[in-house]
Amino acid sequence: MKRYGLIVIGAGPSGLSAAIESAKRGVEVVVFDENARPGGQLFKQIHKFFGSKEHHAKIRGFHIGEELLKEAQEAGVQVVLNATVIGLYQDKEVVVRIGECVHHYKADAIIIATGASENMVTFDGWTKPGVIGAGAAQTMMNLHGIKPGERVLMLGSGNVGLVVSFQLMQSGCEVVALVDAAPKIGGYGVHAAKVARTGVPFYLSHTIVEAEGEEHVTGVTIAEVDERFRFIPGTEKHFDVDTICLAVGLSPMSQLLKMAGCDMEDNPKRGGQVPLCNERGETSLSGIFVAGDVSGIEEASSAMIEGRIAGISAACYLGYLSETERDAEQEKQEQALEGLRQGMFAPKNKGKTLTQTEEGIAISTNLLRHGYLTDEEVERYPGVTHRAGIHPIMECTQNIPCNPCQDACPKKCIKIGEKITSLPAVQEEATCIGCGLCVASCSGQAIFLVDETYKPGYASVTLPYEFLPLPKQGDKGIALNRKGEPCCAAEVVSVRTAAAFDHTSLLTIQVPADMAMKARFFRTEEAV
Amino acid sequence: MNNHADVIIVGAGVIGCAAAYYLAKAGSSVIVLEGSDHIGNGGSSRNGGGVRQSGRDPRELPLAIYGIQTLWPTLSEELEVDCEYHQDGNLRLGKNEAHAKILTDLADRAIACGLDVRIIDGEEVRQMNPYLSQEVTVASWCPTDGHANPLTTTLGYYKMARRMGVRFLTGEKAVQLRTIRGKLRQVMTEQNVYEGDQVLLAAGLHSRALAGTVGIDIPMTTSLLEALVTEAQPHLFDQMLGTAEADFYGHQTKHGSFVFGGSSGLEPYNKDNGTPVTSSITAPCICRGIIKYFPDLKDAKIVRTWAGWSDKSADGVPVLGAVEEVPGLYLACAFTGHGFGISPAVGEQLAKLMLTGKTDVDLSPLHYDRFKAKI
Amino acid sequence: MGKINDRSRDIGEFIPKEGDERLVCRCEEITQGEIRQAVHDGMFTITEIRRYLRAGMGLCQGQTCSKLVKSIVARELKVSPAELEPATSRAPMRPIEMHIFAKEADDNE
Repeated sequence: MKRYGLIVIGAGPSGLSAAIESAKRGVEVVVFDENARPGGQLFKQIHKFFGSKEHHAKIRGFHIGEELLKEAQEAGVQVVLNATVIGLYQDKEVVVRIGECVHHYKADAIIIATGASENMVTFDGWTKPGVIGAGAAQTMMNLHGIKPGERVLMLGSGNVGLVVSFQLMQSGCEVVALVDAAPKIGGYGVHAAKVARTGVPFYLSHTIVEAEGEEHVTGVTIAEVDERFRFIPGTEKHFDVDTICLAVGLSPMSQLLKMAGCDMEDNPKRGGQVPLCNERGETSLSGIFVAGDVSGIEEASSAMIEGRIAGISAACYLGYLSETERDAEQEKQEQALEGLRQGMFAPKNKGKTLTQTEEGIAISTNLLRHGYLTDEEVERYPGVTHRAGIHPIMECTQNIPCNPCQDACPKKCIKIGEKITSLPAVQEEATCIGCGLCVASCSGQAIFLVDETYKPGYASVTLPYEFLPLPKQGDKGIALNRKGEPCCAAEVVSVRTAAAFDHTSLLTIQVPADMAMKARFFRTEEAV
Repeated sequence: MNNHADVIIVGAGVIGCAAAYYLAKAGSSVIVLEGSDHIGNGGSSRNGGGVRQSGRDPRELPLAIYGIQTLWPTLSEELEVDCEYHQDGNLRLGKNEAHAKILTDLADRAIACGLDVRIIDGEEVRQMNPYLSQEVTVASWCPTDGHANPLTTTLGYYKMARRMGVRFLTGEKAVQLRTIRGKLRQVMTEQNVYEGDQVLLAAGLHSRALAGTVGIDIPMTTSLLEALVTEAQPHLFDQMLGTAEADFYGHQTKHGSFVFGGSSGLEPYNKDNGTPVTSSITAPCICRGIIKYFPDLKDAKIVRTWAGWSDKSADGVPVLGAVEEVPGLYLACAFTGHGFGISPAVGEQLAKLMLTGKTDVDLSPLHYDRFKAKI
Repeated sequence: MGKINDRSRDIGEFIPKEGDERLVCRCEEITQGEIRQAVHDGMFTITEIRRYLRAGMGLCQGQTCSKLVKSIVARELKVSPAELEPATSRAPMRPIEMHIFAKEADDNE
């Protein structure tokens, strides 16, 4: 039987990272993936990632996928696509369906990186066509160029629900509401804010009562729930929609590990049934490792580091590096991982209600409840200052491990400091030149350039814009506030695109002076 | 917790559940101890669902006939669950002269016991089941055989027994039997002691070790058998199928899926990891077997494969009945992979034996003391 | 192997409730009410629910419904879902046509 040094199952971010680290150390590695394309979920991620430079911050997910594939190729990793693993049998035998037959392979070590699948919730009508997973919607839009529907209701306010809502709008869908049974928004405030400012209403403590329609979804009714998630009569709200998108979490696809006989546990913090494993990704079965979502739901950046750790561990297990070398390498990776697992959304804070930032500033309750900061709340954060002339306004109010804005500014106007989760602060002594690099670098689209003294009676606001068609200079329209309500007339005074902005255009609009701290989105007259 | 009952049953497989049901129906109090976490977790939920008389050893054939005549026809109503019992006959298939001889010998033996079985040729086989390939040249046909759903039957017995007050404890593994003043009264688990006037040992392979704790040996060994199931398919046929070499069997279920079992030839040597696990070679082998018999099924998708241990007795038939030298002990084990079809009869007759000391079917050929040296 | 599970313990009466007609396992068309009733019939483990009702035995092998079934059973038994062992994972991980499963590649020798 053909035997490999290492078989990796799953060519997503963690599987490819694992394969790269092992192959670089001389292991003969093959990666099997059931999909027609490698990269797992990365190629569906058209948004910019958070993090630090080392974590590919401000790079769009699909570009990270491309980099990873290139790296895998250079390391000599063999990636076999359309290869469905049928089972993981005793003696580390992997049976793979490729084309019209099955292949039996053995490996001295196996890394399982099969990722996760989407959760579902039930409500009356949940099996009707038109009710889809958010991941499925992403696949349709971002891989196949198909609009999932015209009018969409999103259930789930975690990062997936927020990011996919934004992408649905980018693809031309109307998102009529973002709904979550929880009393507060689960994902990053900045992701919520960029959806809210386009006018999408948030309904927290609400969930779906019923999906309506005969052959296909034609409408949906939601209602408010109490603290025990029971419907409150009389709070029903109806929306005409053709699509209901569910973004209610992921479950590890750990069935192969269970089949192989690994010790498993049901760990709600990790998203469900996961293998017991140590920090090197070793399971209870010698030579079988795990990496990525299959061992606990996190995001792609963590999955890539976990993959690297598992790849290094497997190479050590196979004798390609010493335990001392492994430990040193692992130390480095773990520091990176630790860096990502910081801040308010760190795994250790899951389920906790935080009231203050690390700086001791009260967290915006309005942001958590409605997706936007009030005019009063925004003033208390260190990224918001007022001065004559152009300057950045950073509406970044939660401690997230992310710092590209600090490096983006050539004039050192922005400081995060050593601690990557700190809120960005305006450096009073530095002078903003209005280049806009910080605006484009912010994955959360939370940075604006404001010139409160732009023209007599007028202020200018420069905002990140990722929709088509792109407005043109001279276009007239209305400005929307953080809540997405029209607040004043506005005129586009400049539209900037640059390679350095990576497809985030900078729209500068002119608004009445007293709207400088209110206007955060623009809509042309035609669109209104 | 009251650990006393009239009868303690070790093993909540289909045999233990059926016996518990019939005992409770007659008014006995019963406790059933199951070592695993699930009811019916051994062969009861892993077999092919055959309810056959043909092909059986004459020593157990009367039990099979009795069950099919008196219990199976009304079982779904009695258990308030769909046992999916179909009495549409059994075709035992052959492809050559050697197979024809095996089939004829089996049929002659069954006919001598009064069973309606006959040998038919390939053409007649295909009149009954037009999906069978030309490779089939001969078969035995027993019109009163059939098949049922082992999962719902086992759990149906459990449900009704439980409803009648039988106490089932899962995760409670019996480790020792104990006699008190010359009578078997106690079953000890890791933490508890259960006591009753009678003890029925229906714990599959584990029965041997337990019986050993009171000095009784049941010569049996194990074999890791495998089966698979397809996605639901349009209805094709209702017969139960087997082969002359007993290396392949199956049927289409009410749900539409096909359940097939088969052999790679390595069954006695297949290894496990503490639980019965499938090997990488058997399911593909079963698929090749199926396609030879049923070319039309080649595009049906396999959704699941599974394995189970069979408790093989030294002479191919079960060990059933009272152990006179250990008063109070009753055995029901070593079913050798064909216990499901006779399980209602075994449960009912053992209950009767334990209650009255008598049975309707002669169980003496299945007595534990029958194993002797060959010379 | 888990702890001792007394199948006669009191879990209360089966009371029909809102949503009982709703499908939970789409592949096998099993409703919430059927799952709840099965628990009251004594099916205390996910494996038994599966064998009794076929919930999670369809083409998707429980990929969609296993968490949903688990939470229904847990609520009925008044235990945490984490206490319920999921059903065994069995090959094939994805449904596979018989003729493909039957055909072993040349490089297997």
